[in-house]
Amino acid sequence: MQGNQQQQAYDRGITIFSPDGRLYQVEYAREAVKRGSASVGIRTPDGVVLAADRQTRSPLIEEESIEKIHEADEHVGIASAGHVADARQLVDFARRNAQVERLRYDEQIGIEALSKEVTDHIQQYTQTGGARPFGVALLLGGIEGGEPRLFEADPSGTPYEWQAVAIGGGREDIQAHLEEEYTPEMDLDGGVTLALESLAVGTDELEAGSVDIATVDTETEQLRSLSSEEVADYAAEADLGGEDDE
Amino acid sequence: MQPRLTSEVKTMNDPIDPQQNPYEPELGSFEEMSEQDSDTVAKTGTTTVGVSTEDGVVIGTDRRASLGGRFVSNKNVTKVEQIHPTAALTLVGSVGGAQSFIRTLRSESNLYDSRRGEPMSIHALATLAGNFARGGPFIAINPILGGVDDDGSHVYSIDPAGGVMQDDYTVTGSGMQLAHGALEGEYDPELSIEEAEVLTARAVQAATERDTGSGNGLVTATVTEDGVEMAEYDAATDLL
Repeated sequence: MQGNQQQQAYDRGITIFSPDGRLYQVEYAREAVKRGSASVGIRTPDGVVLAADRQTRSPLIEEESIEKIHEADEHVGIASAGHVADARQLVDFARRNAQVERLRYDEQIGIEALSKEVTDHIQQYTQTGGARPFGVALLLGGIEGGEPRLFEADPSGTPYEWQAVAIGGGREDIQAHLEEEYTPEMDLDGGVTLALESLAVGTDELEAGSVDIATVDTETEQLRSLSSEEVADYAAEADLGGEDDE
Repeated sequence: MQPRLTSEVKTMNDPIDPQQNPYEPELGSFEEMSEQDSDTVAKTGTTTVGVSTEDGVVIGTDRRASLGGRFVSNKNVTKVEQIHPTAALTLVGSVGGAQSFIRTLRSESNLYDSRRGEPMSIHALATLAGNFARGGPFIAINPILGGVDDDGSHVYSIDPAGGVMQDDYTVTGSGMQLAHGALEGEYDPELSIEEAEVLTARAVQAATERDTGSGNGLVTATVTEDGVEMAEYDAATDLL
């Protein structure tokens, strides 16, 4: 019985390792990410695509108020999965760091440097008493030195760079689809289409109207949100209801 | 023994890692300095010259440290130092201020490089130097920053108030008018590195002849994409 009590203790204290070396609170935070609707990031030679499924609870909600893709700076977008409120804190951290880079060096921050600043920040919440880890995973996409870059930040605070990646609910299925369909040569249009198809794989009821898509292309180096009409066009092209291919 | 479950609670007003102040170095801090201090600091006379060419930047400085230009306190000062794999900065004005300024910039540049796996651009380095000059206690410094990066060769002058100005060639220090006279009309962006070294030596020599705060030879730093090469001459005329 005492053993049972101790086991409970390991998963309550964020700064306490379990005897087999795990941080349960961090693993639980990953579960929180899985409960969120999915976001997808795809890197093409022409730019980066971020796509997020903002599942709506009711047709009466204003869709614009569900924030899943954020602008960190004009050349960086951040998509999230998990607790939106936690994501907002991290997004604001990223925004401030992007501006610090301009104040300090008069330069745009690189996607890798920004991602690592964010993940270092996340990491501290896995090692500080009284704090709780962030229940959110992020995808940071943008252009750095003319090159598209795409990073994932998970609740443990580890940065990963990807060609194409999914976070959130249904991640395994979506990632499998990406692994099958992604090609490094695909253009930005192809990336948007694949992102939509992939989101559809992860859920039973994907509505084109509830998908948020943003791109940063190498030509303008600006984050651009696609209008709902544009998303609908891509969805029609991808023949969303059906499976795979096209 | 039960593991402890509770510990002090962090509040949102008490961030775990506070944001970096863009006007201060990440490591160490600037000390406050009063107006009176600024009157008593040792100031060198000095002539420092920076000339940019297509292939790189040549920086030339004299070697004299003087007390107000009336007494030569040191005849063998190196007033240009490497602060970055492909950039060098000159010491002008208060010796202590300039030396600490150089150490600070060098450590910031090293930190940036090891974190990001690539050196700072020269524009970023100049911006940072301007921020530090403005935010720090370096009341009496007026250095030249010369460096090479992916965008080519750059020469900046940094003034004590944090002003950062880029130019093809520039001079700071007590001999600046004399050295400028030697450069004016002679500069050509298509100079070779060797020709730029000679031009720099001529400018430092002009100041050496007439400025009591400058003299005792020449130190050059030649910055190319391969790095910084320093050379010392007992007389600026050795290069002419």
